[in-house]
Amino acid sequence: MNGLHGIIFSYEKEPGLRELVEHRMPASIPFGGRYRVIDFMLSNMQNAGITDVGVVLHGNYQSLLDHVGNGKTWDMSRKYGGLRMLPPFADNRKYRSGEEFEGKMQALAGVRSYLQQIRQDYVVLADSDLIINIDLADVFAAHLQSKADITCVCTPNYRQTENATFFQLGEDNKVVKTLCGPKKPEGYHCLEIYILSKDLLLRLVDQCEAEEKISFRSDVLNGMGDQFDIRGYVFNGLAAQIRTVKEYYDRSMDMLDPRVYRELSTAAHPIRAKEDDETPTYIAPESSCTNTLVADGCIIEGTVENSVIFPGVKVAKGAVVRNSILFKNASVEENAEVSYVIADKNVQIRRGSHLNGHENYPMAISKNSVI
Amino acid sequence: MKKDCIAMLLAGGQGSRLYVLTENMAKPAVPFGGKFRIIDFPLSNCTNAGIDTVGVLTQYRPLELNSYIGSGQPWDLDRDDGGVHILPPYQSATGASWYKGTANAIYQNIGFVDMYDPEYVVVLSGDHIYKMDYADMVAAHKKAGAACTIAVMEVPWSEASRFGIMSVDGEDNITEFAEKPKEPKSNLASMGIYVFTWSKMRECLIRDENDPNSENDFGKNIIPMMLNAGEKMIAYRFAGYWKDVGTLDSLWDANMDMLATGSGLDLFERSWPIYGRSTSAPPAMLGKNSSVEHSVVTRGCVVDGKAENSVLSENSAIEDGATVEYSILMPGAVVKKGATVSYAIIGEDTVIGENAVIGCRPDGSEGWGVTVVGPETDVPGDYKLAANHMLNKNLKEVAR
Repeated sequence: MNGLHGIIFSYEKEPGLRELVEHRMPASIPFGGRYRVIDFMLSNMQNAGITDVGVVLHGNYQSLLDHVGNGKTWDMSRKYGGLRMLPPFADNRKYRSGEEFEGKMQALAGVRSYLQQIRQDYVVLADSDLIINIDLADVFAAHLQSKADITCVCTPNYRQTENATFFQLGEDNKVVKTLCGPKKPEGYHCLEIYILSKDLLLRLVDQCEAEEKISFRSDVLNGMGDQFDIRGYVFNGLAAQIRTVKEYYDRSMDMLDPRVYRELSTAAHPIRAKEDDETPTYIAPESSCTNTLVADGCIIEGTVENSVIFPGVKVAKGAVVRNSILFKNASVEENAEVSYVIADKNVQIRRGSHLNGHENYPMAISKNSVI
Repeated sequence: MKKDCIAMLLAGGQGSRLYVLTENMAKPAVPFGGKFRIIDFPLSNCTNAGIDTVGVLTQYRPLELNSYIGSGQPWDLDRDDGGVHILPPYQSATGASWYKGTANAIYQNIGFVDMYDPEYVVVLSGDHIYKMDYADMVAAHKKAGAACTIAVMEVPWSEASRFGIMSVDGEDNITEFAEKPKEPKSNLASMGIYVFTWSKMRECLIRDENDPNSENDFGKNIIPMMLNAGEKMIAYRFAGYWKDVGTLDSLWDANMDMLATGSGLDLFERSWPIYGRSTSAPPAMLGKNSSVEHSVVTRGCVVDGKAENSVLSENSAIEDGATVEYSILMPGAVVKKGATVSYAIIGEDTVIGENAVIGCRPDGSEGWGVTVVGPETDVPGDYKLAANHMLNKNLKEVAR
């Protein structure tokens, strides 16, 4: 049996995501024409042979429950083990700071009885809002080989991310310094994927709880860094944390790069998403749809360029969509034009409307809006 | 366990008239319409009509079909009570035999049907493309108190002699049945979709099995036998889109019908969805210099060349400078740089080499027809395959 257990953290609000999180958690934001953000981490875990995963829930998690369901999409609907959703207060007590947890260690303390029952010897902790296709089996192998206490995945390719963590790596990739949310980034960008043993995790959870410490990165990595052998695992592929609308927009547009598209969709490590049961997309005569990622169930009769199109979108005759992202069932009616727009689910851009966002400030339109 | 109605789906045929496409798989497993397989249509019709128990009778090359159906989950047919069951021929105490005919296939599974003790059994074929509410047909059957109800549709009189033709009285009671009559008396063609009252059907199957001269076929034996016995048999008229895709031409036609708004085959209509097994491919990627018109694309397609009037299936690709027109690329088919595919069906996972030319536009010549390349074929660069020709995976050109 695979010796690795998955824990995924979800967070309620990232204020920087504005309209995109009005009706959902960051983990269930649609991404890349077909996916929800959490699909990436669940698929990474599935592809590494991980069979048991706990998702630590936070705040208003209905949209996430609807999306993940019983975990069947990732083969995690199991009689024994499989996917477990862990609501706050699983241990039937309040977090000290109030209604909801504020840090990973506090969240883990809230689900301690679940952690106690984990049947694997090792645990991988990861965030639900990371776009990545990573071979976690290889990270696990590196962790075992190095005999480190904690292995942290990090990347030399820095992308603008709010409130990021950085490492300086020494000999054998030992983490010699941890910086939390520095003004000026330096070193390796921490992707907040950690592997450690179940025993150490439980010890840390208990110790942090006793000392009223709540954060993994500042209280454990930074605060107790000198007590443990902490190593970095350097990942050179595409990795994107999504914490603002601008980051969301830029990372979505990156998907149009054939190299990125291939990396995220490699057949060896597929990213699985809930079936949409849509018919194939129809592209009409005298329309044009170029440099665009288009999901199933769409009808394209107008012009679409440099865009990401989710299932069931309609672009009518004479309509022009440029540099935009249209969520499920959005429609752009005749002669309407949009550019640098993120139109949420069911948004209708009525006949003749013109909407322009800016490359530096894409216009996000709330779910169900009619314009 | 008792069910009012269950369905038996005949999926064992070889589909020999699909030639290279069914060398390695049964006809119902043949891909259709970009992301479906033919069997998705009857299975989705069952689940949409509320029929939750389906026996799938398999015989010829069942591997692909069995693995595709799996637990039945994509069609919501993974049930503890009922659900989809694969029914291959089996060995019994008195010996073993293949399914000798459509009626014999169900005869051999009387035990399966009895397990659910249904009042009615719907018999379906695995090679038709259509959306139909079997519940409505069963209701008509019940209302008439019939022993057998046969779905029929009006066909042009000129084509009537290609079908099994029903003659009916003023109340749509079937009075006569003729298989491919030279001089048809009616233009109501049987669609090969039947509802039987199980107790009557069970008797007939046993009687038919005891007749050594019978071919054990529904159309040839069971229906005439019931008519002669004076059983109440009614015609159920169907007016929607329906196509038997048992030949290369009809398979090509039905795929093209997806593109034609007037054809009646509307897969966008959401009240009667067609379900299929999901693959994990990403959305289609239409490149900077691509040109796609009047075509369907689906997940995993990567288009950098040109597609017109075509059906591009999952994970198919058209490279730079390649052109595909009036053609069907089945899942995983790749058309390399500079190649041209015209009026053709390209099988699953086949690669058309650079600058190859497959098929051509109708040129008015007598020998013109749709060109076909079988699955898993590696067509070398610069290869030319003439219209109406077929190529199999050993690169042997086969006559149609």
